[in-house]
Amino acid sequence: MGEKIKITINGKELLATPGKTILQVAEENGIEIPHYCYHPGLPVAGNCRMCLVEVEGARKLQTACSTKISDGMVVRTNTPQVRETVKQVLEFLLINHPLDCPVCDQAGECGLQDYYMVYGQYDPKFIENKNKKSKKATPIGKYVMLDQERCILCARCVRFTRFITKTEELGIFNRGDHSELDVYPGKELNNRYTGNLVDICPVGALTCRDFRFQCRVWYLEEFDSICPGCSRGCNIKIYYNPHRPHKAEGKRVLRFKPRPNLKVNRYWMCDDGRYGYKFIDENRIMYPLLKENGKQSEIYYDEALKKFADYLKENIPDRVIYLLSANSTNEELYVTKKFFVENYELENIFLPAEDIFTGDKDDLLITEDKHPNTNGVKAIFNILYKDFIKLDELREMIERKSISLLIVNRHELLDEVLEYVRENNVKLVYLGTNFNKTAKVADLVIPISVFAEKEGSFINVDKLFQMFTSRLEPLGVSVPEWVLFNNLSEILEYPLSYSSYKTVLKQMISEVVGFKNIDLNNFDKYGEMVEL
Amino acid sequence: MSVKILTKHFGIKDSHKINVYMKNGGYKQAEKALKEMKPEEILEEVKKSNLRGRGGAGFPTGLKWSFVPKDTGKPVYLCVNSDESEPGTFKDRHILEKDPHMLIEGIIITSYTIGANEAYIYIRGEYYPQAIRLQEAIEEAYQKGFLGENIFGTGYKLDLKIYRGAGAYICGEETALLESIEGKKGKPRLKPPFPAAVGLYDCPTVINNVETIADIPTIVEKGGEWFASLGPERNGGTKLFAVSGHVNKPGVYEHEMGYPLMKLINEDAGGILDGLKLKAVIPGGSSVPILRAEECDINLDYDSVMKAGSMLGSGAVIVMSEKTCMVKALSRLIHFYKDESCGQCTPCREGTGWMLKIINRIIAGKGRKEDVDTLYYIAKGIMGHTVCPLGDAAAMPVISFINKFRDEFEYYAINKKSMVE
Amino acid sequence: MSIEISENLRKKIEEIKNKFPTGKSPILPLLHAFQDELGYISLEVEEEIANIVGVSPVYVREVSTFYSMFNNQPVGKYHIQVCGNITCWLRGYDEIVEYIKKKLGIDIGETTSDGKFTLSRVECLGMCDHAPVMQINGDFYGDLTFEKIDEILDSLE
Ligand SMILES: Cc1cc2nc3c(=O)[nH]c(=O)nc-3n(C[C@H](O)[C@H](O)[C@H](O)COP(=O)(O)O)c2cc1C
Ligand code: SF4
Ligand code: SF4
Ligand code: FES
Repeated sequence: MGEKIKITINGKELLATPGKTILQVAEENGIEIPHYCYHPGLPVAGNCRMCLVEVEGARKLQTACSTKISDGMVVRTNTPQVRETVKQVLEFLLINHPLDCPVCDQAGECGLQDYYMVYGQYDPKFIENKNKKSKKATPIGKYVMLDQERCILCARCVRFTRFITKTEELGIFNRGDHSELDVYPGKELNNRYTGNLVDICPVGALTCRDFRFQCRVWYLEEFDSICPGCSRGCNIKIYYNPHRPHKAEGKRVLRFKPRPNLKVNRYWMCDDGRYGYKFIDENRIMYPLLKENGKQSEIYYDEALKKFADYLKENIPDRVIYLLSANSTNEELYVTKKFFVENYELENIFLPAEDIFTGDKDDLLITEDKHPNTNGVKAIFNILYKDFIKLDELREMIERKSISLLIVNRHELLDEVLEYVRENNVKLVYLGTNFNKTAKVADLVIPISVFAEKEGSFINVDKLFQMFTSRLEPLGVSVPEWVLFNNLSEILEYPLSYSSYKTVLKQMISEVVGFKNIDLNNFDKYGEMVEL
Repeated sequence: MSVKILTKHFGIKDSHKINVYMKNGGYKQAEKALKEMKPEEILEEVKKSNLRGRGGAGFPTGLKWSFVPKDTGKPVYLCVNSDESEPGTFKDRHILEKDPHMLIEGIIITSYTIGANEAYIYIRGEYYPQAIRLQEAIEEAYQKGFLGENIFGTGYKLDLKIYRGAGAYICGEETALLESIEGKKGKPRLKPPFPAAVGLYDCPTVINNVETIADIPTIVEKGGEWFASLGPERNGGTKLFAVSGHVNKPGVYEHEMGYPLMKLINEDAGGILDGLKLKAVIPGGSSVPILRAEECDINLDYDSVMKAGSMLGSGAVIVMSEKTCMVKALSRLIHFYKDESCGQCTPCREGTGWMLKIINRIIAGKGRKEDVDTLYYIAKGIMGHTVCPLGDAAAMPVISFINKFRDEFEYYAINKKSMVE
Repeated sequence: MSIEISENLRKKIEEIKNKFPTGKSPILPLLHAFQDELGYISLEVEEEIANIVGVSPVYVREVSTFYSMFNNQPVGKYHIQVCGNITCWLRGYDEIVEYIKKKLGIDIGETTSDGKFTLSRVECLGMCDHAPVMQINGDFYGDLTFEKIDEILDSLE
C-alpha cells in the first residue's frame, strides 16, 4: 500500500493514501461532503460545485472531488463560509427546478431533497419564471424516462454512456442555462445497462419506467443478495414491500439495484438482471402437483415427498437420471450430492450444457452463462464442462440406458424428450420455482424456493464465492432444496439430519476440496476466491 | 513620442504582405534566433523583458514558458489565442489585419524556444476576413521557407495551422480553447493539471495571446532589458489600448506601459463625444471592475490599475459619458455572460441567468428595492466558486457597478425608470 | 436520409481530414465547411460528420448546438447579425436594430417571408472601434447609420 500521509479534516488528523482526493478520504472517515457530479465509478467532472471546501493556503474554496490530498494538508468542511457557499450552490440548482416533490417519483431518494434538509433551508429569493425545457417525462429508452426540468446537468449519465458502456447516446446540447441533457433526436438509449442511469442520476430527471409510481420508496425494505441472471454474480440489493400480502398475487419484490463490489460489478448491473426480478413473484409453483389420469392436481407436501420416495424406491439407481441446475445454491448442490450420489448411489447425475452458452456476452458484465452457479456445480460435483450433457443427447441416453425415472431440476426439456418420456412411460419429476412446459406435463411437481427466499452462496465466473441472505418467506409450501432432500432422506431411512442452513454450510466448507481456503469466521463480504 | 513596437508598420501600404514586412526588417529576428541563439537564451531574454501576457491575466510570459516539462517524449504545442471576444477588445484584430507576419515571426521564435514543431492559431469564427488574410500570410511564409521543414537551413521544423472557432467567448479561456481545437464543446477543464504539462491532445502546451507573441521578435531584436525599460517595474514593453464607447476617436493606440488613462481618453481618443462629461470607464475589457470618473486618474499598467481596484485585463478601455444609464449598461454585460456561460458549472450557469432575469425585470419597470441586494448576493455566490474565471468575470462587473452606482440601481428599481435618461 | 455532397465539399472534407488528423479535431472545420455549403446544420449533416470522424452523432450535435455560429435551423440568404453588446449599445444599437426590424418587417430571430434576410442579435464582434456594427455572411459593416443600413441592405441581391 505504500506510505500514508497525514491530512487534517475539521481538526481531525487522518492517515490517508497519497493520490486520493479530499472527498474520498473524507468519505472513508465518515465525514460527509455534499456532492452531485462526483460518482466513484466515473471520471471526475467537478461541475456541480457542491463539494467546495476550505483548504488552508488556497486563495479560493477547492472542490473536494477533484483536489488530491497532500502531506500536511489542512481541510475544513464546516466553516461558515463553506456552509454559506454550499447553501447558495444548492439554491442555484433549485431556481430552475420544479418544486413539486409530492408528484416526483424520486421523492425520498433525491439528492436535492436530502441536501436541502441539511445544507439548504434558505429564504427563497427567486421570484422569476423558471426556464422552460423541451422534454417533460418522456421515455428515452425501454426502461428510462427523462424529465429535463429536474435535471441538474451533473453529467453523470453522459459520462456513464461515454466511459462505461461507451455507447454515447446521451449528450448535453446547447449551452449556458439552456443546456439540455438528451438523447440524439430520434434515437433512444441503446445499451444493456440503462437502469444504472436511473441509479446514478442524483435527482428525478432519469427515472425508471418499470418502477415509476409503483410504490413510494419509504415503504420499501431491502436486503443484500446476488443477481442470478448470469455467472457474473453482480451484487445487488433487493427492494420489497413488506406491507403487501405476501401471497403470489401481491407482488413483494419491486426492484433490484446494484451494490458496489469492486471485485465483481463495480457499481453497476445489467438491465436483463435488474428487470429480471419478476420471476420471484410471478408464475410461481406454490404447491406440489401429482398427475393422475393425465391431469395434475394439488397434493399435500408430505404426500408429495412420499410419492417422490416411492418413485426412488421403485426404480433402481441405474435407471434414474437427475438433471442438476446451475441455479441451485452451493449448499443445495452439496446436499443433493450427499443424498443422490453418496446415499442413493446415483451415477446418472448431469448438468445439461446447452442453455449455458448462449453466446450473448459483452466486455462489461454480461457473461454467456445465464446461470449464477455453474462453477458451484463444478466445484461440488467435481465435473468439467466437457462432462456436461447436451439436452438433445438426452433422448438417446434415456433410450440407451432404459431410464424409467427422470428428475429435472428447473430445466425446460425438448419436445422430443417430453414426447419420448410420455410414450415410454418414463416417470417425470419436476423440481422447480416457476412453471414451464416441462413442469406442466410432469408426473410429480415439487416447489422449491427462489434464491431471494433463502440463504446461500454462488460461485461466479471468476471463481469468487459469494454469500447472500434473505428476508422473504418462501411462497406456498416451497422450501430450499437442501430442506427437501433432508426430509426425503428421513423418509428413505438414511437421514442426513441437517438441522439448519449453517450446519450444511459448515460441513460443505470443510469437505469440499476447493473451498479449503474459506474461513467462515473471517469471510470477506466482497467474496472469496475458491479453486475448481 | 511613444515607442512603437506592434503598430510600427500600421501606416505602411500593404503592411500585411510578406515582401513589405521583409523590406522593413521582417523575419531577421527569427533567423537570428534560430541560427544564433539557444532556446534557453531566448527564454532568458523574455524573462528579463518583464513581458506579461496580453490576453488578460498578465501572467509573466517567460515564467509560463519555463513550465513546459523537458523530454517527456511527447510533442509540445504552441496555441496562439486569437479568440478576442472580450467585449471592448479589438486590438488583436488590428495585428491580424495589418501585421500578420509579425505574429508569425513571433510564433516561429516562440515555438523554437519551447520546443514545439506544431503551432495553432485559434481565431474566433467571426473573424472570417481576418482568417483569410492570416491564411494568406501563412502560405507566404511557407513559400519563403520560414515555415515547414528545415527553416533557415537549421533543420528546425514548424507547422502552423489556423483553427477557427465558431462563436463562443468561453473558447478564449485557455483550456476551453484546447477543448475546442480538439473538436469538442468549449468546456473549460479542471486545473490542475495545467496546460504546460497536459494541454492539447494531452501534450505539453503553451497558450499565449496574439499581442504577447507579436512582441517576441522585438524582444529578440532589442533585448529583454530594453523592453523592460519601457514600462514601470514588472510591467515591460508597450501595450495596445483599444478605446471604445463615448469617445470621439475610438481605436487602437500603442503606448508604453504606465500611460495615463485620462491622457489616452482625452488626447489619443479625442475626448468624450459631444463634449459631454466622463461618467465611468471599464479599463480592461468588460470583465473587470468599473471605475468612476473621479477614479480614472491612473496609469495603465497591471499594478497601478490593480491598485485602483480594477484590472488592466486585455487593455480594452470602454468609456461612458454622463448620459449612460448604468442599469442598462450592466444589463448588456449580464446578457453577454449569460449567453456565453458554457453551462457546465452550477453557479455560473444558473447565476448569470438569474441575474439577467432580475435586471431585465427592473428595466421593464417591475423592479423591487430588494432586487439590487439580490443581484449583489447572486454575484457574490458566483464569485470564486466556478470552474473557470468566466464566473468571476460575470460577477465582478455586477459587484462593482452596484458598489459604485447603487443609487442608480435603487432609483430604477423603485421609480421604475432610469435616473439619467 | 443521406445528403448530396458536392465535388467541392468532398475536396474540402479530404483537406480537413489531412490537416487535422487527430481525434475529433475535424468536427469544427467540417461543421464550418458543411454550413458554408448548405446554409445550416441539419441532423443529416451531423450524422454525416459523425460518420466521417467516426464518433457518435451526439458528439457532433453537442458541438453544433454549443457554438452560436452554427445554425441548427435554415437561415435566410443573408444573415444579419447585429452586435448588441456594451460598446455598440453605447453607440446606438437600440435605434439601429429598431430601424432594421422596421425596414425588414421582422423581429430578432426571424426570417423575412421571401427567405432573404434573417436578423440576429449577437455578442461583441471585436469591431468596437466601428460601433455600432453588424456582420452579414462574414462581412463586417461598421459605423452604422440609417443611411448606411439602407445602402447596404438595398445593395444585397
Ligand atoms: C472567459 C475568458 C475569456 C478569455 N478570452 C481570451 C481571449 O479572447 N484572448 C486571449 O488572448 N485570452 C483570453 N483569455 C485568457 C486566456 O485564458 C489566457 O490566459 C491567455 O490566452 C494566455 O495568454 P497570455 O499569457 O499571452 O495573456 C480569456 C480568459 C477567460 C477566463
Ligand atoms: S439526467 Fe440526471 S444524471 Fe444526467 S445530467 Fe441530469 S441530473 Fe445528472
Ligand atoms: S451481468 Fe449477469 S449477474 Fe450482473 S446483473 Fe446482469 S445478469 Fe445479473
Ligand atoms: S462533487 Fe465536486 S464539483 Fe460536483
